[in-house]
Amino acid sequence: MILAKFKSLLWTDFFLYTIVDPRSLYRQIGKNDPKPFLLSFTVPAITSLAGILTQSLLSVQSSFFYTKITYGWILVFIFDSFLIIISAALMDMLAQLLGNKGNIREMISLINYSHLPRAFILPIVYIFVILQFAPVFMYVFFSTVLFIWSAFIAILGISEMHSLDTGKSLLIFIFPYLFTSVSFFFMIFLAVVSALSYLV
Amino acid sequence: MDRNRKILISILSMLVFTAVIAIVHISMNLNEQTAVTLSMKTPQFGAGVAIVRIEGPIGFSVDRSPLHLARGSEAVIKRLNELEKNSNIRAVIVRINSPGGTVAATQEIYNKLWKLRKKNIQLIASMGEIAASGGYYVASACNYIMANQGTITGSIGVIAAAPNLKGLFERFGIKMNVIKSGKFKDIMSSHRDMRDDERELLQQLIDLSYNRFLKDIALGRNMNESDIRPYADGRVMTGETALQCKLIDGIGTFEDSVYKAKELAGLASDAPVYEEEKSPIEEILFSMETLFYGRNILKEQFNMDDYYRLEYRLVP
Repeated sequence: MILAKFKSLLWTDFFLYTIVDPRSLYRQIGKNDPKPFLLSFTVPAITSLAGILTQSLLSVQSSFFYTKITYGWILVFIFDSFLIIISAALMDMLAQLLGNKGNIREMISLINYSHLPRAFILPIVYIFVILQFAPVFMYVFFSTVLFIWSAFIAILGISEMHSLDTGKSLLIFIFPYLFTSVSFFFMIFLAVVSALSYLV
Repeated sequence: MDRNRKILISILSMLVFTAVIAIVHISMNLNEQTAVTLSMKTPQFGAGVAIVRIEGPIGFSVDRSPLHLARGSEAVIKRLNELEKNSNIRAVIVRINSPGGTVAATQEIYNKLWKLRKKNIQLIASMGEIAASGGYYVASACNYIMANQGTITGSIGVIAAAPNLKGLFERFGIKMNVIKSGKFKDIMSSHRDMRDDERELLQQLIDLSYNRFLKDIALGRNMNESDIRPYADGRVMTGETALQCKLIDGIGTFEDSVYKAKELAGLASDAPVYEEEKSPIEEILFSMETLFYGRNILKEQFNMDDYYRLEYRLVP
């Protein structure tokens, strides 16, 4: 059964729509055939491995590299997945506050798939490593470009999910980043004030 | 649709292929494994030896620490106070690497050490590169003094110095208007010659401090003042000469001092040694202090306050 579904290549539609048509991606997730949730976690698995390999290409490695791509990769994958679940939860929370119906399971799947462009950092940077043409700069530059592409997929997916305009979808998308930034700012500010009050 | 799926499969295969190639590429360029040494400190318990370090010129901290961290002689006394309260400390090694310092600051450390000595805490002075004048004064409070063969020590004496800039003032036509309540109020002024009565007054002051120095050394070393006086003319000497003059008890390294401290305190050879350590937070605060602590270059180069100090200090 599973093998038959694998051979049908229907599962590739999630990845295909992620790249070519993000709105169709959500529609495909909504169909729930094949089930997208667990499959979506292959994306952070791929991107975490690609991230480790890309960063390793930028400098000379010791034999610790083998630990990084085995145990380290699992650690990064778990951490990335955790961040995705938290950010998806925050996005879903804001979507509900804006009067939409919550659907955390689909939101997690959507955010997972939206990370797929980040996997392309490896072949892109590898080309510049081989050419020895500013690989570090290109890594930073293309990381930014791929993040924007990834954000674009997520925003269009959220827009399709809740039938929202792009502005509100953007707001939902950036909410976790805003929330984290503001929280950290106040945490650091209060920590500094407390420390200085104690010392002075 | 099938064509698009196959294209996607190709893209994913390309990603996998790139990953494999990248792993091979990195493996071929692996550097030799660098040995990573992790220094793990195990907590120490029980009766042991503590270390106190006196480094640089001895003096009170003139400027208040912005972060309320003890500096100068106050930091040494603070450390000694902590050790005094710690019942595990049976001996203290006073590691000295100092050319001396101001009279009052040196005496404060001496008196504090003497208090510890009275409490039957064994004190061992370990002299480093230099332990002269006030550095030796502090060491004399200890039960046992150990120095290296090449340690510079001695310089028993008191000094006060101020430049006479009268000629310079006259050359530039600078005149000082001085209104004073007594004839000695502007003693050691740099714009005029020193009067005889002023010189006499300062000499008395110097002699008093010198005599106190001699008395304290004699007390600490359990010697007669008359035995010390021949060498207490400000002369510097090496550790070996100091041993011959009985100003120290033995020649040895810092490590030897640790063994000696354990021996005098009746501790086992593997008894813990409590090094003076700052917590990571204190290290951060100390490094932060340099950011807050504005330095006035002019003040450092020409600080008039320095000329009104009596010092037990080796002045080269």
